[in-house]
Amino acid sequence: MKTRLVLWAIAVLALVALPPVMTAIGQTFYIDLVRRIMILAIAAVSLNLILGYGGMVSFGHAAYLGIGAYAVGILGFYGVTSGWLQWATAIGASALVALAIGAVSIRTSGIYFIMITLAFTQMLYYLGISLEVFGGDDGMRLKSRSQFAGLVDLGDPIAFYYVALALMLLAVFFVYRLVNSRFGMVLRAAKSNEARARAIGFSPYPYRLAAFVIAGAMCGLAGALYANHTSYIVPGLMSWQQSGDIMFMVILGGMASTAGPVLGTFALLIVEELLKGWTEHWQVILGPLLVLSVIFFRRGLAGMFYKPDA
Amino acid sequence: MPWTLVFEQLLNGVQLGVTLFLMAAGLTLVLGIMNLVNLAHGSLYMVGAYLTLAAAQWTGSYAAGVVLGLAGTLLVGMLVEVVTLRALYDRDHLDQVLATFGLILFFNELVSMLWGRASLYAQLPPSLRGHVELFAGSSYPMYRLAVIFVGLFIAILLWYVVTRTRLGMLIRAGASNRTMVAALGVNIRLLYTVVFGFGAVLAGLAGLMAGPIYSVQPGMGELILIQVFVVIVIGGIGSVRGALVGALIVGIVDTLGRAFLKPMLGSMISPTAAEAAGPALASMLIYLLMAIVLALRPAGLFPARG
Amino acid sequence: MLEVRGLTKNFGALRATDNIDFDVAEGETHAVIGPNGAGKTTFISQLAGNLRPDAGSVRFAGEDVTRLPAHARARKGLARSFQITSVFPDFSALHNVALAVQAQLGSGGFWRPAHRDPALLEPARALLEEVGLGARLNALAANMSHGEHRQLEVAMALATRPRLLLLDEPMAGMGTEESQRMIELLQKLKQTRTIILVEHDMDAVFRLADRISVLVYGRVIATGKPEEIRVNQEVRRAYLGEDD
Repeated sequence: MKTRLVLWAIAVLALVALPPVMTAIGQTFYIDLVRRIMILAIAAVSLNLILGYGGMVSFGHAAYLGIGAYAVGILGFYGVTSGWLQWATAIGASALVALAIGAVSIRTSGIYFIMITLAFTQMLYYLGISLEVFGGDDGMRLKSRSQFAGLVDLGDPIAFYYVALALMLLAVFFVYRLVNSRFGMVLRAAKSNEARARAIGFSPYPYRLAAFVIAGAMCGLAGALYANHTSYIVPGLMSWQQSGDIMFMVILGGMASTAGPVLGTFALLIVEELLKGWTEHWQVILGPLLVLSVIFFRRGLAGMFYKPDA
Repeated sequence: MPWTLVFEQLLNGVQLGVTLFLMAAGLTLVLGIMNLVNLAHGSLYMVGAYLTLAAAQWTGSYAAGVVLGLAGTLLVGMLVEVVTLRALYDRDHLDQVLATFGLILFFNELVSMLWGRASLYAQLPPSLRGHVELFAGSSYPMYRLAVIFVGLFIAILLWYVVTRTRLGMLIRAGASNRTMVAALGVNIRLLYTVVFGFGAVLAGLAGLMAGPIYSVQPGMGELILIQVFVVIVIGGIGSVRGALVGALIVGIVDTLGRAFLKPMLGSMISPTAAEAAGPALASMLIYLLMAIVLALRPAGLFPARG
Repeated sequence: MLEVRGLTKNFGALRATDNIDFDVAEGETHAVIGPNGAGKTTFISQLAGNLRPDAGSVRFAGEDVTRLPAHARARKGLARSFQITSVFPDFSALHNVALAVQAQLGSGGFWRPAHRDPALLEPARALLEEVGLGARLNALAANMSHGEHRQLEVAMALATRPRLLLLDEPMAGMGTEESQRMIELLQKLKQTRTIILVEHDMDAVFRLADRISVLVYGRVIATGKPEEIRVNQEVRRAYLGEDD
């Protein structure tokens, strides 16, 4: 346990020190990159809650990334630029949609659940494409960043970086407490042996639905952050390819572990950056790499450092 | 409502349904018998389209293109099975989803490297270029009619194989209880390979027939794959009959919805609202249908497993 | 305590449970025996709520529970162990039982760490001591032996503070020494609880049961005290075949 805390402390210090160091050596590109990684890590942490700990293979998690981003974009389109309002809407809308999708999907299991979550996300994607008023297929430009008058200016890349870092750490801590609480125990028990969980008196459905909604809401927040990061919102954010990416971040890092999703996000996106620098057709290399990692690399990166939480 | 227009769209729906069926049949059997989720099924569809296109251009003959394209797709499918899927049969669905997702990235990029990212135009075979007058005043493209006939023919062929032959019996038994079939001494590996090869050829056929109608581009497989999933969920896993019924339902509902929802809405609410809501609702229609079917029959309409 | 009337369950053309009437008095240990394929597990599943009967009723402590799902019956005090070992493999023995304890105490907490909560761990520890697993508290369930799994299952069943314990072949797959230990444990438990015991191990059955019911082809062909069953002609015929 102690080693874990030490490793976390080192990692956090490194992340905190990054902007001043990078500015000093004139490599500000990395501030942007790591900020993007941390924002997507929040999405991965949220998926880990339902996938890693809850055993629910939701192939449609990117939907909430899109909902959160579009909440910011659409509100901004109509002149509402208050960050508080935008982000609250992002979280609230994602939670509601997660509730609707979850209520229908969680009654199924196994392969049906995978296909249904995929199908519902695709439905939202098509909805996004068909709304011409918000750019349709091409997406929409964010006119201005979310405004948090007086508190922080997201237009300042370094301030935004620290906001992302803080929120990522908050998300990690929140999920950590959640999965170790009584609520989390039931969720994990249902994943470990569902029949047994029922036999001792637990009905998994309400716990799973609650986790699903929480995960959706958290991912919506990530979406709001992402919109501010890229200043451009496309329906592709909700595509299943994006969902697959997030799943890989969770799996690569090691499911059902606290650091796993963060490690996985860093690993995947850094590999992507390296490959992109090498060739325009980087996916032809990434694809087989992912296949190999699934076949040979079962426990993920976190499994190399320590055993996953019992 | 001009009835010729409705009838045309109905036929278009059947044509889409038949394409979906060819994909769904292979996928549902692989899922039911081998318990394997294969997202790369869409890639085989794409490979079929591209290989046929390339072969037809190279040899100058459509028929040669079809033969070479199908053979090529079969080869690619077998390669994928041996190199990747064999390692995944014993893994859980999540691993299979992720691994085959990696395959999708690979194939899409490979195809872009070989033929570029822009969508290609597939030539109609010369013999099927005209229109057919079905009844007074309506003319329907011959090619689409041909697609429907081929699809229905395959459906009948599959029905015959599945219900009347030894192989079909093994397939149905396997879909209903895999371990039992293995325990009976059947060469499971061979059965898997045959079933998978079957599915690959069907997917390739669907792809090459779809080429001239939709566009041939990287990622075309995934666009149709999700609809195929909806078909399988509605029809029931492991059931070819379910795949046919589900495919026709999805094909017809989707096509009619896209064609008529906007004008129908326009007559009920304001035309401008219908302009926005129409296409949006139309694209969501089959998913809503899926949700309803699931609420009433969680295992689909014709589940192979009791 | 338990009153079953006219219980019937069909699987297609197969009548797995055929119009069964069955009673268990409070404090009694009632064994259910029968040849393989008699439908014992189907019967137990309907009592526990894992299977819905096609006809008939199940009354538990005066209340009709026929329509109640398994987890609700567990909450009412009807606990079940499984024929095929079913524990939480990813959790330690202590946490396995702690989960069962939690099911009784309530799972509303979103925040406080449950894996260190004394309100859950203390009772779990006590229960594991009671079944003889006091030395294996922190062992991962996946790494425990078959016999230990059985003991763990009993501990988990006890944690739900059952009024009625449904034990589905607790002896299955155990060696002689482990069986002896299990029989002693059950002898201790039967003094304070009502138990329905499905078993093949006749030694255990005759040592533990107050009454025995014999199930053949989904029907109860005899019910009575162990000595009566031992000499019952129909029972001998069912087990030993048609020889006179």
